[in-house]
Amino acid sequence: MGTEELTKDINGLSDSELVERSVGGASGTFECLVNRHYMLVYRVAYKWCGIRENAEDITQEVFVKLARAIHGFKGGSAFRTWLYRITVNTAKDYLRSSARKMANEGAYIKEKEVASQCAVTDDNPVSSEELYSALGSLSPKLKEAVILVLSEGLSHKEAAGVIGCAETTVSWRLFKAKRVLIKLLAQEV
Amino acid sequence: MDKKELEKKLKGLEIPSPDGERKETILRAALKEFEERHDEVKEESKGFDVAGRLTGKREKKSFFKGGAVMMRPIYVTISLAMVAVFVAYTLHYYPGMAPIKNDFSRAPVRTEQDRVSKGPALRANRLAVADREVPPAAEPAAKPSITLGDKQIARQGGDDTKGASSGVVVAGSTGSDERLMMARTVEEAVAPPVAMGKAGEMRERDSVGERGKSKVAKSEVKSRQMGIYQSDAVSKKEQFAGYIAQAPVPAKVLTEAERSIVRNEYTGRDRFERLEQNPVKLTQEEPVSTFSIDVDTASYAFVRRSLHQGHLPQKDAVRVEELINYFDYDYAAPKSRRKPFKPTVAVYPTPWNPETKLLHIGIKGHEMEKKRRPRANLVFLLDVSGSMSSPDKLPLLKNSMKMLVNELEHEDTVAIAVYAGAAGTVLDPTKVKDKGKIVSALERLRSGGSTAGGAGIKLAYALAESNFDEKAVNRVILATDGDFNVGIRNSNELKGFVERKRKSGIYLSVLGFGQGNYNDELMQKLAQSGNGNAAYIDTLNEARKVLVEEAGGTLFTIAKDVKIQVEFNSDRVAEYRLIGYESRMLKREDFNNDRVDAGDIGAGHSVTAIYEITPVGSGSQLVDPLRYGRKPHSSKAVKGGEYAFLKIRYKLPHEDESRLITKAIGNNLEYSTIQDAPTDVRFATSVAAFGQLLKGGRYTEEFSYDDVRALAESSRGRDRFGYRSEFLSLVGLAKTASTMGDR
Repeated sequence: MGTEELTKDINGLSDSELVERSVGGASGTFECLVNRHYMLVYRVAYKWCGIRENAEDITQEVFVKLARAIHGFKGGSAFRTWLYRITVNTAKDYLRSSARKMANEGAYIKEKEVASQCAVTDDNPVSSEELYSALGSLSPKLKEAVILVLSEGLSHKEAAGVIGCAETTVSWRLFKAKRVLIKLLAQEV
Repeated sequence: MDKKELEKKLKGLEIPSPDGERKETILRAALKEFEERHDEVKEESKGFDVAGRLTGKREKKSFFKGGAVMMRPIYVTISLAMVAVFVAYTLHYYPGMAPIKNDFSRAPVRTEQDRVSKGPALRANRLAVADREVPPAAEPAAKPSITLGDKQIARQGGDDTKGASSGVVVAGSTGSDERLMMARTVEEAVAPPVAMGKAGEMRERDSVGERGKSKVAKSEVKSRQMGIYQSDAVSKKEQFAGYIAQAPVPAKVLTEAERSIVRNEYTGRDRFERLEQNPVKLTQEEPVSTFSIDVDTASYAFVRRSLHQGHLPQKDAVRVEELINYFDYDYAAPKSRRKPFKPTVAVYPTPWNPETKLLHIGIKGHEMEKKRRPRANLVFLLDVSGSMSSPDKLPLLKNSMKMLVNELEHEDTVAIAVYAGAAGTVLDPTKVKDKGKIVSALERLRSGGSTAGGAGIKLAYALAESNFDEKAVNRVILATDGDFNVGIRNSNELKGFVERKRKSGIYLSVLGFGQGNYNDELMQKLAQSGNGNAAYIDTLNEARKVLVEEAGGTLFTIAKDVKIQVEFNSDRVAEYRLIGYESRMLKREDFNNDRVDAGDIGAGHSVTAIYEITPVGSGSQLVDPLRYGRKPHSSKAVKGGEYAFLKIRYKLPHEDESRLITKAIGNNLEYSTIQDAPTDVRFATSVAAFGQLLKGGRYTEEFSYDDVRALAESSRGRDRFGYRSEFLSLVGLAKTASTMGDR
């Protein structure tokens, strides 16, 4: 089989088709799947912890889990939903481990520099750094609602599917989260 | 920033580009895993739900829904059998494993255990992990069992490292925690008698026996999953057990026995503001004395702690007014809420100086009836830095907060944020009717981790504001051992921040714990800026006092910015000296200036201030009268005159304009002997004398600790809670410490 043809073929496949073929053992399709969704996972991981190195650790863990789990994927929910779920849960676990926090101190300082470089030049009173800091202060429940809906753009319903709760719960958490974030970002020293 | 802006910002949240090399690594790792798994799947044609078993959180759901391998009947039977055998063994060999003692020293262990079970997994290949966790020498018994974090041994300072075998100290914060964790672990074997013998040696430490070598990757994986579960699935049960196990034990029983033997060297870095004692003032020069009231009690608790350790406290740590105000006095309570307190005044001879008299001013704030009190919207801001791990800090803090929560009503809300370690929101504002959630969140707190800047005081206030209710009491309660790295570096900025927030209706109280890092000065300043009180919690009893008995006072302010001004009549009083309140003095013009901040009175609080006055004509003035000053009128004409005039300014909680209460102090309030004075007045005097002795006794002539004790004993009164008796014991300790020349 000409690899080029294969590549063309693969990229045209939907997620569920890719998954199906991967379950069968085709590593080519699995690789395509990973590539296609790499940014999604990395993005969510980064938004969750604010530090690139850690986000990449989380990303690795997620894809390794994916590799193991895909063989048993029943296809009950959409692949993306499933992937979001694994990512959020892995990120949560990751933050809970305190060893990570000790190692973080050095990384955090570096990251602050990076974040401030990322800061948009238009005069916004709230820098990227502050936003991440505020986001990081939220409780996990509120944080996940904010990241999934307000940042990743999922609907309340989709987010509910990822989190495993009612749609109204997502709405309520968003409401609370926005309130806290606004207060937090409004503080001046 | 409004909602729209916020949403826009979040939508456009920036991400740094991922590292290309790392992406390659990740891709390869994932592919490798995929291929290995694919091979395994081919072999294991039985169709285990491998995916279900290994997908972390998701696996948890399928576990309980019966989708995973572990629910297969054969495994369930084996597991249960082993659990039963194991439990039988441990109960047999460790009859003392019931949750009697709190062994707080092991609190940090769990954190690290979690770390080991998850940390390596995130970086390394699964198989590499299996290699690392397999300990070297196995016990003779061939039955394999699970290691759950064998790395933690050395940490406890020589806990149980006997030989190469993996003595696993899977220690929780209580013995019962351990048992639960053990029970939940899928044990494939119980250590044989040899191991038991070793375990017997470790019995004291409540640790469980040793584990043998782990057999295969499968069991390895199981244990890791269990490790992953620990923090979640186990949490509810262990929290509950932990809660029971940590039922309040009178800390006094433990500490005094130990401490009387061990004389601690004072090696702390505790910081106190250095202040000279109030000097004697000549009435003619300065007839008016103005100060802010103080209801803080931190100094008393700190002094108590020092004395229990066998040494006198630093002089700067002794604030006499706080010692006096530690006790509750039975001054006449006010009748209406509009006039929230009533002054009680007395004049009587000074016990330590027959030539002078004491002018005693007592103020009692009205109690708040439960049904009348406003709702409380509280945010606990808790220091969880590494230094908080000792038993007199975080564990005591957790118990204290639980006690406070018990005093709250269903409609009150509590939120919890932590700083200096883990940082961020631990619990969103939750109604006390969901008390379980609040207690669980408290239980789960662990100390450790490094300072992760940012979150802290701003977060606490943001949480309070997001739940703000102007009819409620909105208060942040900050608990720390001295680390104030709450996100605002400069202490003046911090103070300013707290003040601004106070103006917007959110108050602050500060609770200090532990020793060696205590920052008393900052605590006091912040509490005052925040219209709250500062207390030092050294024992569970103190926690009960501050957060249960005096919960009303701690939470509910009935009068704010309370200032006292006394004008002495130079015809009757030649000199005066205010005992204590050195850190609370105000300028004369501050009295009428409503913008000047002062202390607050909480529901049920009583406040006492004592002046020592030298009457005109007594002949024992310390300060020579002015040669060119106005001579006082002859004593005959002024005999009926007043000693002084008392003014009190205060603001009602929701008002900004102050109100005034006045009282003339004349002969009608005088007692000719101290024995005639009311019990509470005499007791307060004994405490005042005690405080002054601790500060060096500059003005107390020959008065001794024995004299203090005699006076206190005779005025102990009903002493419902035993605080006055405790005071007597402190006097004894102080006497001993001082005669030993111990500082």
